[in-house]
Amino acid sequence: MFPDVTRVVRFAGLGVALLIGGMFSAISGAAPANASPFDLANHRGRVVIIDFWASWCKPCRQSIPWLNAMRARYGADGLDVIGVNVDVVRSDAERFMREVPIEFEIIYDPNGELAKQFKVQGMPSSYVFDRSGKMVQTHLGFRNAKKAENEAALKNLLNQSIQ
Amino acid sequence: MANKDPGIGAAVAAATCSLLGTATPGVSVAADAEPKWDIESAFLYYGESDGRVKDLSLSALATRDFGDERKLGLDLSVDSLTGASPSGAIANSSAQTFTSPSGRDTYSTPAGEIPLDNTFLDTRFALNGSWSQPFARLYTVNAGLGFSSEYDYQHIGANFGLTRDFNQRNTTLSAALAYAQDTIKPVGGLPLPLAQMTDAVDDEQSPGNRGDNSDSKNVLDVLLGVTQVIGRHTLLRVNLSYSDSSGYLTDPYKILSVVDPVTGDLIGRTPAPGASGPTGVYRFESRPDSRRKEALYAELRHDFSGKVLQLGYRYSTDDWDVDSHTLESRLRLPIGGSSYFEPHVRYYQQTAASFYRYSLANGALPEFASADARLSEMSAVTMGLKYGHVNAGGNEWNTRLEFYRQTAKAPNEVLIGNQPGNTQMPDFDAVILQFGYHFKL
Amino acid sequence: MRKLFLLATACGALQGCANLGVQPWEREVLARDDMQLDVNALDTAFDDHIYFSKEGTSGGRGFGGGGCGCN
Repeated sequence: MFPDVTRVVRFAGLGVALLIGGMFSAISGAAPANASPFDLANHRGRVVIIDFWASWCKPCRQSIPWLNAMRARYGADGLDVIGVNVDVVRSDAERFMREVPIEFEIIYDPNGELAKQFKVQGMPSSYVFDRSGKMVQTHLGFRNAKKAENEAALKNLLNQSIQ
Repeated sequence: MANKDPGIGAAVAAATCSLLGTATPGVSVAADAEPKWDIESAFLYYGESDGRVKDLSLSALATRDFGDERKLGLDLSVDSLTGASPSGAIANSSAQTFTSPSGRDTYSTPAGEIPLDNTFLDTRFALNGSWSQPFARLYTVNAGLGFSSEYDYQHIGANFGLTRDFNQRNTTLSAALAYAQDTIKPVGGLPLPLAQMTDAVDDEQSPGNRGDNSDSKNVLDVLLGVTQVIGRHTLLRVNLSYSDSSGYLTDPYKILSVVDPVTGDLIGRTPAPGASGPTGVYRFESRPDSRRKEALYAELRHDFSGKVLQLGYRYSTDDWDVDSHTLESRLRLPIGGSSYFEPHVRYYQQTAASFYRYSLANGALPEFASADARLSEMSAVTMGLKYGHVNAGGNEWNTRLEFYRQTAKAPNEVLIGNQPGNTQMPDFDAVILQFGYHFKL
Repeated sequence: MRKLFLLATACGALQGCANLGVQPWEREVLARDDMQLDVNALDTAFDDHIYFSKEGTSGGRGFGGGGCGCN
């Protein structure tokens, strides 16, 4: 009445081996670009978050309101947020912004040149620069569970003086 | 496809507030206003030609998003089945009488017609629940439980799956395992394998050709899949699956006609004096107690200027010798900004099971035999059209109409006497009509 | 059949298919609802049930992959 276990185990073992093999394979290019290819001269002395977003990115519907809140709460303390939109079609971005208002500066990057320079690994991605203009943090993806932790890190950076 | 547009007024207010440097109240709660429930509901009618099976079905598939890609799925459906289906007995030049599945009544088939047995009015309930969530950045895990119940059949199953992304999520490997236990308790009890159909008996007696009241079967399914992004407009999926069923796999309601080994004609029979019963020699079918299947499935999804072509192929082979090819395609054609047409075509063909018989030759019995057309050499074509429309609230209603035609053939090797050229297979046409509503809460 | 599948999975796991995909910011089409593998889920479930009842073979579709590639 029992199925032929050896045959099933061999078949399933194949799959498990592939998954485990995958677990040890290197994730390509996780290192962020060190030099900022971006002219942050206007923002010297301020903490800057550069956030790559798109109308088709579902987690962006959570990350953008959070960035709005951070900007509102810490703008006076020296926080700037720059959103880089990678939509190919501008009207898609505009439709998104009618549903999810964006309350920080936006740059349009429809050809993905800026995304390529930053070597964006996934959507959304944000890059945090300290008051000296040095990139100190990279966030790949957005998780509600990490909001408190990320806010604490921002407060820390804002408390640092320019080196 | 569904876009929630809260309206220009709200956007202007938000823009004005941000220019003035004040946070718009309600902006930071936009995340909470995101719809959390995604519900697909549909009503389906399936109807076969010639007074055969008709099915009415109501289904709802609800997905609840708990944020951070954690999802709960609930799937509920109710099915109501009526009508008759072929019993496996062959047509005869004179009328035939059979004992019903309960063993207590009889029914008749006119001369020249394929015998259909009275399928009971039956209602089936099915409930499935599933949970999926990420663990570590590139992995997701999912698990599910399923249950279904009808008059004579119960199913309970569990499944578990894992996916892992590679190459910046251009490649996804998935693996899944499912296990099910089904119990069958047919009306009249389980017929003994290849037992002869006897005269109808009254309530106090037993038909004499039955074994246990119920039996069970276990099914183990294993699936390995790869999904690969091929350029901005194309997605390819390839799955390999393996299925192992064991236990009671016979259809307790299906029979075979016993024929003369030389002429191929039905062997006549007279019921006992004072009794009513079969006018021919008929035997209940018997299938092996194990079935192992392997299948390869490949699907391509390609976008070209907003139109989406879906092309799928499945090859399946098993140790019952049923090999099949399925080729299916859908083309989604958007109309304006909020509607679409989606034509659909499907072609299916299979080879007969090794123990498929058109009829049984009188004499020595084989170990296994079934005259169920679903195990014969067969091909089928489906053609359909779906139409959908997204309303101002972002919800979609849709409808689809499909035509299905199945054509079966008894391989020459199983024909006896003067049957070649005189076979009558229970081919049929069916209509599928569905109305659906997809909304978010 | 099995060799073809092994090749495809090995390709994925060893990143031999790295040049077949797209950049993370180029997924606007793949993110669309009508490009998801589970679009028409209810239709597929109905159909699978009908074909399972009326034909000799069933199953094989599976799940996972494609989409916006987010998070």
